[in-house]
Amino acid sequence: MPDELGFFFLLMSNGVLIGLMYSLIALGFVLVYKATDAVNFAQGEFVMIAGLAVALAMSAAGAPLWVAITVGLAGMIAFGFGLERVVLRPLIGRPVIAVVMATIGLASVLRGVGPTFFGAGTKTLPLPISDAPFVIGPLFIPPIQLLGAAVSVVFLSGFGWFFLWSRKGIAMRAVADNQQVAMAMGINVERYFGLAWAMTGMVSALGGIIWGNLLGVDINLSLVGFKVFPVVILGGLDSIPGAIVGGLIVGIVENIAAGYVDPYVGGGTKDFAPYVLMILALMIRPYGIFGKKLIERV
Amino acid sequence: MRQFLAIVTSLVLAGGLAAPAPADAQAKADIVIGVQCDRTGATQIVGTVLCPGFHDYIALVNSKGGVEGHKIKALEIDHEYKVPPAVESYERHKKEGAVTMAVYGTPQIYALAAKLTEDRIPGTSPGFGSAAAADGIKYPYIFPIAATYWSQGAAAVDFVKKQMGGNMKGKKIAFIFYDNPAGREPIEVMESLAAKEGFQLKIFAVPPPGVEMGAQVLDIAQRYRADFIIAHLFGGAPAVSIKELKRVGYPLNKVVSFVWGSAEVNIEAAGGFPAAEGYYTMQFAGVGSDFPVLNEIREMYKKEGKPAPKEMASTVYYNRGVLIAALHVEAIRNALKAKPSGKITGVDTKAGFEKISNFTLGGLVPPLKITPTDHEGGGLVQIWQVKGGKFERVTDWYSAYPDVVAKHIKAAK
Amino acid sequence: MIQRECGVLKTSYEADMALYPLPIARWTVAVLAVIFFLLIPLTLHEYYLSVANLVWIAVIGALGLNILVGYTGQVSIGHGAFMSVGAYTAANLATRLDSPWPVNLLAGGLMAAAVGAVVGIPSLRIKGLYLAIATLAGQLIIEWTINHVTFISGGVQASIAVPRPRLGSMVLSSQRDMYYFLLVFVVIAIVGTMNLVRSRVGRAFIAIRDQDIAAEIIGIDIFRYKLLAFAISSFYAGVTGVLYTYFLGIANYEQFQIGVSIDYLAMIIVGGLGSVLGSIFGAIFITLLPIVIRIGMESFGSVFFNPQTVLNLIPNLRLMVFGALIIFFLVVEPDGLNRLWRNIRNYFRIWPFAY
Repeated sequence: MPDELGFFFLLMSNGVLIGLMYSLIALGFVLVYKATDAVNFAQGEFVMIAGLAVALAMSAAGAPLWVAITVGLAGMIAFGFGLERVVLRPLIGRPVIAVVMATIGLASVLRGVGPTFFGAGTKTLPLPISDAPFVIGPLFIPPIQLLGAAVSVVFLSGFGWFFLWSRKGIAMRAVADNQQVAMAMGINVERYFGLAWAMTGMVSALGGIIWGNLLGVDINLSLVGFKVFPVVILGGLDSIPGAIVGGLIVGIVENIAAGYVDPYVGGGTKDFAPYVLMILALMIRPYGIFGKKLIERV
Repeated sequence: MRQFLAIVTSLVLAGGLAAPAPADAQAKADIVIGVQCDRTGATQIVGTVLCPGFHDYIALVNSKGGVEGHKIKALEIDHEYKVPPAVESYERHKKEGAVTMAVYGTPQIYALAAKLTEDRIPGTSPGFGSAAAADGIKYPYIFPIAATYWSQGAAAVDFVKKQMGGNMKGKKIAFIFYDNPAGREPIEVMESLAAKEGFQLKIFAVPPPGVEMGAQVLDIAQRYRADFIIAHLFGGAPAVSIKELKRVGYPLNKVVSFVWGSAEVNIEAAGGFPAAEGYYTMQFAGVGSDFPVLNEIREMYKKEGKPAPKEMASTVYYNRGVLIAALHVEAIRNALKAKPSGKITGVDTKAGFEKISNFTLGGLVPPLKITPTDHEGGGLVQIWQVKGGKFERVTDWYSAYPDVVAKHIKAAK
Repeated sequence: MIQRECGVLKTSYEADMALYPLPIARWTVAVLAVIFFLLIPLTLHEYYLSVANLVWIAVIGALGLNILVGYTGQVSIGHGAFMSVGAYTAANLATRLDSPWPVNLLAGGLMAAAVGAVVGIPSLRIKGLYLAIATLAGQLIIEWTINHVTFISGGVQASIAVPRPRLGSMVLSSQRDMYYFLLVFVVIAIVGTMNLVRSRVGRAFIAIRDQDIAAEIIGIDIFRYKLLAFAISSFYAGVTGVLYTYFLGIANYEQFQIGVSIDYLAMIIVGGLGSVLGSIFGAIFITLLPIVIRIGMESFGSVFFNPQTVLNLIPNLRLMVFGALIIFFLVVEPDGLNRLWRNIRNYFRIWPFAY
């Protein structure tokens, strides 16, 4: 296989796998928005705290992997519930900027809390997967990316099913659609808000484990949160299939930009190429590819 | 309730503003060094270890009676690797009467260069930008006091040349770097050397924060197929680069990293010493715990009944902190010797820096020679390799291509 | 206090709509002028003046952002990028053409306004959160452009040193000189903003914020006014960037990254959206916060922790307090410090009566 074509497939495979891993983080964002209309600017920091908790459990307490993962999941679920109760419930009904700034403030708090309580050094999160890549023809596929993509697809499908077919999922969609009518129907709105944030916490824990293994757990882990925005805007803020599609697009565009555009412009286009694409997409479809159109009443 | 809150808030603010300034301890003529650090920003992985090294050396000096009888006060302010807090901390240090400034960070030294020269206080920028400041005539108050990025670039190319048996003609070298001014600084020197030695140089930018570089690494390893990689990354990026290179199967003993991707913390974040076997690193301070000054610091802690701080285990950055502190102290010592009255200012410590030569602190500090024209001191580095679970020294102190570097310094604005 | 509004009678619309209709307001302004123009610069040490200078620069930026976010309701996370546009425009003009600082200031502001209008174009189709993220994209793109296009950035280091501003034969270099220099612009900015929001344009902005569809129906060209809001806000940002460059003596894009944009958003939220006084309060508060925390920890921290821990703790504490304060203000007092101030003022306005 000629070198250039081989390289192209390599970039594509890397893009697809990384894109699915972005979708995993975007899933946390979408869950919260779908259920509560709240925008979570602190998604990256959630992933960071989850990763720190799991890494700390494994290194300091010497716990085996599955115990540490359980601790991380449980901790983040509790964190989600607690967060909703303390910070977000008072902000229900406020304009967009209020919740956005609240989550930005939360992100700042978590960035301070992380190094204070968990230490500033980078921690590793070893998973029982080898580092050596699978070699298929010209493709190099690192096992961790494959695992991440698999986890992502499983959970995205799982949550998709949840929202479409399960009672609780339908109740959540009802709450997101119209809180007052949902309350009139006997749905405990506050409990479902808490559940939504808890689910985000759980997904962040998964993201923290996978990305923590990939990048190492330290304060920089929170920066993956920035990737979330092009993904959810392209895919639609409240759409789970949109998160998958958006993630794939962002992953592929990033790699194409890094591989083919960078050499001509001196590098660095990788980070904002998805954003440029996002703006173009927004001009054509303001609510994203799969997003729900917002009907405004005067 | 709200009015109560308003009153409390305004009281706290007023109290903060009206807090009495720490007394100018002129009674014992303490000498003040203004220290900047980054403990929460992009390079916290360095600052949280380097700055304790600085403070420990100062504590050691004070425990022995200070410099010529004067105690040293090192005032530290964290600036999160941002410029406005750095400027504010500079003003604060100036107010406290600092006679030297240990600046931290490339954008910070650029931002403060004009002020340092105006206020005539020497500022050090060891191991980071600006490389042109090695010229002591053009930049009288900026002191790199360690290999600048240009010298590091030249030294890296020289090391690669030796690894390739002395001939680099036609070989492919990849330069992977952090896409900010500090990361881009060595490129012009590397391009000159590429022309001189006949090798092919391709640069790969990693945009900040440098946590995702899969595509660049794939390009280097699979498309460009570099013969050797020179890496210039900061913060968390070096560890990620090691992991990514391993993932694509690139041999780590064909990689040499500049000084800020070369510490225990970087290796550990990449999965530990066994995982990074073969990786070459560049150092501007001695590595390891086996230096007399470090033993003295441990003794000092033992006398106080405290265990040695855990930062000492991270010897690469900790020792650099000690080196920087030691050079500041030497400059102050030279200044005090020239002015025994004890009332020294930035002008005196500048002259003090320019007298430093043959000060090696038992091998921790390279044999620098700082003069009024050369504020860099020779651009000396060592290469250490990750081997068998620890760092092993590969070369002694050396510097390379001084003529090429000098040409660039002369041509710089 | 009780006498505040008694006996004040106006006989024309202009008199009633004047900026300071009450005589006591004029006295207040006079006293404030004395304090800020005479008392503070002549008595405080240079370090405190440098802090004050940072505050003044922040005030101008916060005013600009409040025009866009508080009065027009368009959330923008790109303020830092517009500042860098202004800064680099001025720096390039100063070093290449040797132009005097008034020209640089104006050019920087206008260039930033132009770029701001371009970034605001998506506001035609998208609003709310989507627009916020589009402005975030604008911030990243502008950062990248300045970083990589050496014509703008002046070389690999992306830093351009600017000569100090000259006033006739005097070179403004000390903090005290800078203080007066900045104070003039702050006053112009405050008065300008106050007049802007009372004018027709200002009322159009408020209409767009409150009910943009209704505004369009009654004939306000919302696209034009949205672009104008972006342009005016970016002009302020550009001026802030230029002044900041003159303050530091160097233009460097790393000073204007996304953290700065978020800081300014925090300033106007804590201070109060949609109010001039709120912008001022917010700017003062957020700029002084890290300094106060540091001084507090240095004075009292050694009681609880050993020195190394204190040093490690101070910056993390700053992040935590910053975030916690934002959340606190959003939950407890969504209208910010401005509302707190109004409550105090209203209490004293009718004191000793209760209502």
